[in-house]
Amino acid sequence: MNELLVQTSWWVPTYGLIGAIATLPWAIGLVQRTGQRPAAYFNLLMTVVAFIHGGILFRHTLGHESQQLSVQWLNAAGLQLFLTLDISTISTGAMELITGLSLLAQFFAIGYMEKDWALARFFGLMGFFEGAMSGLALSDSLFLSYGLLEILTLSTYLLVGFWYAQPLVVTAARDAFLTKRVGDVLLLMGVVALGTMAGSFEFQDIYDWAENADLSPMTANLLGLALIAGPIGKCAQFPLHLWLDEAMEGPNPASILRNSVVVACGAYILIKLQPILVLSPLALTALVTLGTVTAIGAAFVSIAQIDIKRVFSHSTSAYLGLVFIAIGMQWTDFALILLVAHGFAKALLFMSVGSIILTTTSQDITEMGGLWKRMPATTFAFLVGSMGLIGLFPLGGFWAFWQGINAFWYDSPVLVLVILLVNGLTAFNLTRVFRQVFLGDSQPKTRRAPEVFWPMAVPMVSLTIVTLVAPAIFDNLSLIPDWELINPLSVVLMVTSSLIGIGSGFAVQFNRVWARPIQEPFRFIQDLLAYDFYVDALYRRSVVLWVSTLSQIGSWCDRYIIDGAINVVGIVSIMGGQSLKYSISGQPQTYALTILIGMTVIGLLVSWLV
Amino acid sequence: MLNILLLIPLVGIIILWLIPQASSLYVSRILSIITISLALGVSLVLLIQFNPMDDSLQFLENIPWLAPLGLTYRLGADGLSLPLIVLNNLLTGLALFRSDEAHHRPRLYFTLILFLNVGVTGAFSAQNLLLFFLFYELELIPLYLLIAIWGGAQRGYAATKFLIYTAVSGILLLAAFLGVAWFSQSTTFDYQSLQHHHLPINVQYLLLIALLIGFGIKMPLVPFHTWLPDAHVEASTPISVLLAGVLLKLGTYGLLRFGLGLFPEPWLALSPFLAGWAVVSVLYGAFTAIAQTDMKKMVAFSSIGHMGYILLAAAAATPLSLLGAVFQMVSHGLISAMLFFLVGVIYQKTGTRDIHSLRGLLNPERGLPIIGSLMILGVMASAGIPGMVGFISEFLIFRGSFPVFPVQTLLAMIGTGLTAVYFLLLVNQTFFGRLTSNLSNVPQARWSERTPGIILAILIVTFGLQPAWLTGWIESSTTALSHVFPISTTTLHS
Repeated sequence: MNELLVQTSWWVPTYGLIGAIATLPWAIGLVQRTGQRPAAYFNLLMTVVAFIHGGILFRHTLGHESQQLSVQWLNAAGLQLFLTLDISTISTGAMELITGLSLLAQFFAIGYMEKDWALARFFGLMGFFEGAMSGLALSDSLFLSYGLLEILTLSTYLLVGFWYAQPLVVTAARDAFLTKRVGDVLLLMGVVALGTMAGSFEFQDIYDWAENADLSPMTANLLGLALIAGPIGKCAQFPLHLWLDEAMEGPNPASILRNSVVVACGAYILIKLQPILVLSPLALTALVTLGTVTAIGAAFVSIAQIDIKRVFSHSTSAYLGLVFIAIGMQWTDFALILLVAHGFAKALLFMSVGSIILTTTSQDITEMGGLWKRMPATTFAFLVGSMGLIGLFPLGGFWAFWQGINAFWYDSPVLVLVILLVNGLTAFNLTRVFRQVFLGDSQPKTRRAPEVFWPMAVPMVSLTIVTLVAPAIFDNLSLIPDWELINPLSVVLMVTSSLIGIGSGFAVQFNRVWARPIQEPFRFIQDLLAYDFYVDALYRRSVVLWVSTLSQIGSWCDRYIIDGAINVVGIVSIMGGQSLKYSISGQPQTYALTILIGMTVIGLLVSWLV
Repeated sequence: MLNILLLIPLVGIIILWLIPQASSLYVSRILSIITISLALGVSLVLLIQFNPMDDSLQFLENIPWLAPLGLTYRLGADGLSLPLIVLNNLLTGLALFRSDEAHHRPRLYFTLILFLNVGVTGAFSAQNLLLFFLFYELELIPLYLLIAIWGGAQRGYAATKFLIYTAVSGILLLAAFLGVAWFSQSTTFDYQSLQHHHLPINVQYLLLIALLIGFGIKMPLVPFHTWLPDAHVEASTPISVLLAGVLLKLGTYGLLRFGLGLFPEPWLALSPFLAGWAVVSVLYGAFTAIAQTDMKKMVAFSSIGHMGYILLAAAAATPLSLLGAVFQMVSHGLISAMLFFLVGVIYQKTGTRDIHSLRGLLNPERGLPIIGSLMILGVMASAGIPGMVGFISEFLIFRGSFPVFPVQTLLAMIGTGLTAVYFLLLVNQTFFGRLTSNLSNVPQARWSERTPGIILAILIVTFGLQPAWLTGWIESSTTALSHVFPISTTTLHS
């Protein structure tokens, strides 16, 4: 591999960062004459440069061994921290996926955010976001990866909180940060413990250590659980899944990235950590269990949503649940191909959703209808994105699910059922949304909806094409197996599940007026799913309540018991002095008596002590 | 050189009282800023001349003073104290820069701040126990007056409380220092000669406990902390900055230098208890901070939590954890100073520090957007987000303490999660949301008000990205300090 390319590979994540820093003069209002656009264009340019540079790097890694690039960052008191990058086909490929999607999302944002007054800040945050993710893709050091994950948490917070004046945004940003932070703190515990036990934070050293590690089952399980906690938060898996749905209050171009590649970053770290997770059967079981719970639960919850962005955010959780299952079962190939296929398709769906939102200024699908005539490109993008997501020949989802079904076919048929169920439910859900948004009669908000203008249409159409040719990309990277190996029954099952989903999606009657069932049990189920099994209410009444009660009790004790005791001491001494002053009578005998009694008491005390 | 560092502010004070025009705020402020800039310059020169490879004391000054008492004027600096001396001058300079509101008796005000600076620098560099005690007490008087004269409505109560607490702390220290010299029958109070005492172990326990409580009050540790929130709330912004940024470090510095340095054996025996105490302090500080509604109180309780990490690191006493402890002193100095500066601006502009009365201050036109952005950076640094200095210090402490006290370290980590909770609530409550109508006439922050925050933000990010620029100065001294522990290295390797 070209030495110069390897040596300069760290530039790629840096471009995004440079772009972010360069927006500062506009973001803080130092430069006002030019408007905010130059900052946006500069960021876009930086992403183009990152994409091209990454592309060259990627081409050169094809067919080569992976190479490490390592810099010592800190060497203090026996602790050596390296910033290590791993330049391999997978890591640079992941980086290309990130910069590519970031490029499209930023292009899209030029249109979508056109009228926003804080364009520079938005693009700065996007550059920051992109840099952190690209770095994460390349990172080969647990320390660096942890740091970048935390930076992702911070930038998610800032991006979700971008429109900070809106009340829902305030809570959404808070929840996004705190939920992820719970996972991050647990991950930090795991990182510190692992680094101490393995004596290094490099993945390679940790892998070597893990091969011969002799841990007690308790330690191994705790370590494994701590390590998966971070990705659980990042990938919006149960029980840390709430934030992704709320994060939909943020600007749509950021949602494009968040639902495609940001969640994938958590899974990517899990894949990196897999050789260590193997030490802990409990952690692997937890991955499969939580993945299954999230996949099925989120797929159902997604069906009951009427906010178009929330529909797809829950579906993201469901797909990442499948990825968790794949990682828990140690089928990394399935996990990777599903991440890529889902990344393209979901990004495209979110672009299409962004177009709809901008044109109709609504996110409520019950207010929509008949958009297909008005917005053909958006409709097509939606269709292609949906096809790419579910198991329909020949787009990405098909190949990904095919891999998964084959992987689990003999060992765990139950998980095959899970895949089929999620696939069928997603197909049903997408059909439902498609019917409500694009088919049917026009509604007041969709009657005069024009197709979006070119800065949004160009990236959307480009991504549509990319999603269409995704199978060819998989084929190039030899992710698609030979035809002879294909198990016909699995293909039949998968396509059938998709078709059942689509068919029932079309068969179900819905009437806008009767969207709410009359029967009590149905109402209950609808509410249960629409409010995400009331998990947030549950948290508010448990964890949040405990923490706030504990803090109130602590504060009360501090005020009245600890500080109270101090004040009592103070008051007693003041009162003592005040009352004793009346004993000053001028009579020497009283003084002498007092002295005598005092001396006796002290003498007795001393003789008792010594 | 250290003499010069102590002399500069004293000369500054004399000039301040010789020039008649210095009775005005403007002139006295300029004069004292120049004085401290000189001191900062000298301390930076010291930093350059300092040999980081050498773990012994450097820049020694030794003048016999009251030989019969065992008191010598003996100064010196090592990697433990030099970063704190620089921090002291930096924060004093920034505090003076922001003291543009001290219209009442400005000359006295600036004199006291300069005295405070001398006291702190002296305490950090004193190598004689009695001399340390003198400087420790010298710093107390100006601070008491600064709170009592230029404080808020409840200043009398807060200042007296501070005075009594710190005086008790001083008495305990004096008792311990006298005890160590008395029992070891030493004729001198010099640190280095007392280091090799051969005291019976139960006497050592007694003396160490006196020191622990004495410095525990200063740090402060739960339950000796209640003076701190009151003092912070009543003190004016520059004084809060100095209190949190520098004064608390006297406690942690003393704990390492005198507690660990003089009594390693009982320290080792008590260390599990100390680690437990640290956890209690961390969690108590964090939980109590969540319930606060006054921003200054919240930052004050966060200080209590963050000082707990230092006790944890000191209890573990590995080379790495001690390095982390000193790093944390510097990083907490920078971060808490920044937070107090920003809270000060908010208070000055809006007239309140109650987080429930404030909302939407990020508003770009009528709010305080840059102050808000800096605040977000500051709270994230405090919550230990990577890329900023707070993360490095916490990481070093956790990584250094984990091999010795795994459970306590893990529990203390919960504190970083809780730090995120209360500071996020603060930012969300005050800066996010829609600007309320009664805040819509908030005056714009001037650049001079933003400058201290920006300078500290740059330092926080710089050392967060390049911690080696700071660890280099500290490392050899803390490693040497960990070697006073005969057993710790062996327990580490087993």
